Amino acid sequence: MKSTGLNKTGELTAHFFRNEYGKLVAVITRYLGSEHVETAEDIVQDALLQATKHWDLHGIPDQPKAWLYTTARNLALNALKRRKHHRTYALHQANNTSTAEQLPFSEELIEDSQLKMMFWCCHDSIPEPSRIALILKILSGFSITEIASAFFSNKETINKRLVRGRKQLRNVEFDSPHEQHLNQRLQTVLKTIYLLFNEGYLPSSENQIIRFDLCLEAIRLAQLLSDSELITKKADIHALLALMYFNVARFKSRTSETGELMDLKEQDRSKWDAELIQYGIQFLDLVVQGDTLSSYALLATISGHHCIAKSYEKTDWTTILSLYDQLLLLEKSPIVQLNRCVVLAEVAGTPTAIEELTKLGAQTDINRYYLYHFTLAELYKREQQWSASKLAYEEARNLSKNPRDQEILKKKKQALVPYLSSQLS
Amino acid sequence: MKEFLLLIRSEESPKANLSPEQMQQHIEKVGGYLKRLSEEGRMKSAQPLEMAGTMLSYKNGQIVDGPYNETKEIISGYYHLLANDLEEAIAIAKKDPRFEEGIWRMEIRPIKHVEGIN
Repeated sequence: MKSTGLNKTGELTAHFFRNEYGKLVAVITRYLGSEHVETAEDIVQDALLQATKHWDLHGIPDQPKAWLYTTARNLALNALKRRKHHRTYALHQANNTSTAEQLPFSEELIEDSQLKMMFWCCHDSIPEPSRIALILKILSGFSITEIASAFFSNKETINKRLVRGRKQLRNVEFDSPHEQHLNQRLQTVLKTIYLLFNEGYLPSSENQIIRFDLCLEAIRLAQLLSDSELITKKADIHALLALMYFNVARFKSRTSETGELMDLKEQDRSKWDAELIQYGIQFLDLVVQGDTLSSYALLATISGHHCIAKSYEKTDWTTILSLYDQLLLLEKSPIVQLNRCVVLAEVAGTPTAIEELTKLGAQTDINRYYLYHFTLAELYKREQQWSASKLAYEEARNLSKNPRDQEILKKKKQALVPYLSSQLS
Repeated sequence: MKEFLLLIRSEESPKANLSPEQMQQHIEKVGGYLKRLSEEGRMKSAQPLEMAGTMLSYKNGQIVDGPYNETKEIISGYYHLLANDLEEAIAIAKKDPRFEEGIWRMEIRPIKHVEGIN
């Protein structure tokens, strides 16, 4: 059933404006030409503004979506008329005489345009941070201020990323990638979506609402890919969706009511969202039916194991460890090895994990990464090696780059103080 | 109950810089406020006004265009509501959620009634 934009109680569906922004910009860009994407954004912003002005006093119409589309279409037609004698428009028009006159906004066309937009913003020639900023601005309807707040950044930085990205976009064709490139391009899109998700998923008690929205947006974008008929090989998309559902199900339980961060061991598992976990399981089932095993699938399976464990102690650590071993065969990255050590501590004991980590630190440059020292600090603490733990927290704090992490590390270190003094006396 | 006309004035458009999500929140907040007022039977009418219109003056025996306002401030909408007295009308106006997010001004004028006529 097609949604009108209203829910059962006659209110606008959640994020209606934000989602429609992305859809409309995508489809209008298709008509105006990709070099005019900023005009398309202005048109849509204007249409939303007109809706706001009208609906706040008149109430929301019965067909908000149709209302918005008509307004946006008229604005787009006006923009085209104003450019009537413009040469680039004339060229563009020659190819699209029949469609441009009416500007149909069908569901199929909108879906196809959003997909094109996603591949466009994730082109290999665009730097990674710019890709994420472009997607959030153009396709997801986030404002620069909102992106900055979700990224613990400022407006200037985000704006720079956007400007850099837009400059590069001018050299990229706005079209669906050809079949032979589709899979390779899809990997970049999936990676971008995963990075976007992880930005939202960072453990912090700040800006929770907007960062949760970021996670949901990543899921929505992956869902668009999953629904597409253009893409035939979907195992990786399903695996990423499973992973994101399993993680987002645990989003809200990571902070206590007083805003303190809680690690996996301390979390109230009854607060995990059973419905989202169920979605994760459904997508993971689709992956298992396939014959390829991607990193996303392994990460999803690991996350799924945490989700279904009755308690921290009853977690199937042995299976999770073997999943990490498989993951290492696919990508032998120090980060994966670091995470594996956390699991190793549960299976083989903390001293083994500390030993393994120390070796890893000597072999790779992971010891320049704050989470390496953070993990060591946590393990030392478990072994009641208080001064070693304190030193590791300090090292982590020196290496961490943002104030949010530094604050967490400072608190962790302070919690050691009573033990340190009892050792002295 | 007395009748009041509340003129909503704004400079340029305070809503223009809102993000799509904020626009939706604006509609939901202001919409909820107006709905409550009409359910209480206090709101007789609320309408937005187009940003552009015209001004007519009667001058030297004929109707002419203008003069136009020099300021950027325009009336962007109005409420026609019922309240016991001016104080209550002010209290109602102060609760309008639009004040939370932009540079708005509200002019509150009692509608004049002459005994025995209206």
